Amino acid sequence: MRCPEANHQLQLYIDNRLSMNQVRELEEHIARCAACQRQLYVLEEVTSALRELPPVVEPANMTMLIMQRVAMSSRRQSDNQFSLLRPSLFELVTVVILASITTLSIIWQQPSLREVLPFANPLSQTILYVVHLIDYGDMKMITLVLWVGGTIIGIWITLALAGTEIRTKWFKAMMDRLPVR
Amino acid sequence: MSGQLLHPTHGLGIPLTKAVLSFTEQEEANLVAASKKGDQDSFAQLVQQHQRRVFNLVFRMLQQYEEANEVTQETFLAAWQGLPKFRGDARFSTWLYRIAYNCALKQLEQRKRDQAMQIELQTEDRSATSTQEQRVDDDIDSHARQALVHEQLANLPAKYRIVLVLRHLQDMTYEEMAEILTMPIGTIKTHLFRARNLLKERLEMFDRERLSRTRGE
Repeated sequence: MRCPEANHQLQLYIDNRLSMNQVRELEEHIARCAACQRQLYVLEEVTSALRELPPVVEPANMTMLIMQRVAMSSRRQSDNQFSLLRPSLFELVTVVILASITTLSIIWQQPSLREVLPFANPLSQTILYVVHLIDYGDMKMITLVLWVGGTIIGIWITLALAGTEIRTKWFKAMMDRLPVR
Repeated sequence: MSGQLLHPTHGLGIPLTKAVLSFTEQEEANLVAASKKGDQDSFAQLVQQHQRRVFNLVFRMLQQYEEANEVTQETFLAAWQGLPKFRGDARFSTWLYRIAYNCALKQLEQRKRDQAMQIELQTEDRSATSTQEQRVDDDIDSHARQALVHEQLANLPAKYRIVLVLRHLQDMTYEEMAEILTMPIGTIKTHLFRARNLLKERLEMFDRERLSRTRGE
């Protein structure tokens, strides 16, 4: 074995990465070569000094500081989840409109209640007029219009109640799939 | 690096790898599983288990105590937030050290960008070097040689420092280092050998200077 090769193997030797045969060859060379002996000595001195490097003590309150940040990040996450349940103005208006439609339809189905309420008569007259129009109109066209209108209103209600985050994701996904930009 | 920041945890000279009590692999796996479900108490135990090693790793890369403190906290926070994605392909510690290494690298890049801080650090380095030269002149015993290695470690590039720290302070194999640093084993070996050779050369230079001074007298 020559010195350059031995020099390269010295590093592997101190890391215990040589085979038994390589170790034997290297040790034979070192026994005969004062220069490589010296190289090994200095290298071992370096590694030993590194191993003796005293550990640096972390601040005493480190666990507490980390766990405070962890707790804050968890709270923020749960706040974000709760925000899905917090309605925006748009969602609130939708819910009010839906509730009004439901209430009015209940009133319309109760003739006794209709008579008591001051605004019920003109309202019922309007609804009766619409029903009358439907009765005399083109049924196929009216069905189509109602079907398209119902689908649009259904999607709109779903999106309104789903919350801003899901609405944004849906919109983004839809835009991504559009063939034209 | 200020000498007063170095506080040995004990007087027995036990290396860092043996200084921290360790869980069995099963215990650690249970704690990781509980933490993934959001159990903060389990995560706190993992923090206590690993914080010293992570802190030392980060500190040796950054050479700045307060920055190391901040980056260690960021590492554990990132680990907590990333736990749901941790599949357990690697060991938890390997995964954690990789996060720590990346956080420290990010901090070094940030520091590079911060011109003012760089100038401040250069000034600190100059004063540290002059102190070091003074110490080299004063002490010629084996402790001074050891101190020289420690001080020269701080002056090495970060890529060399990290492999030396992982190999000799954290007792890791080439394979473990390759996994943490996401580098091929060949690169790890190259960096490690160059780093040790640099320290060796500086130690030899120190010997030559000492010899020439002795002859001069």
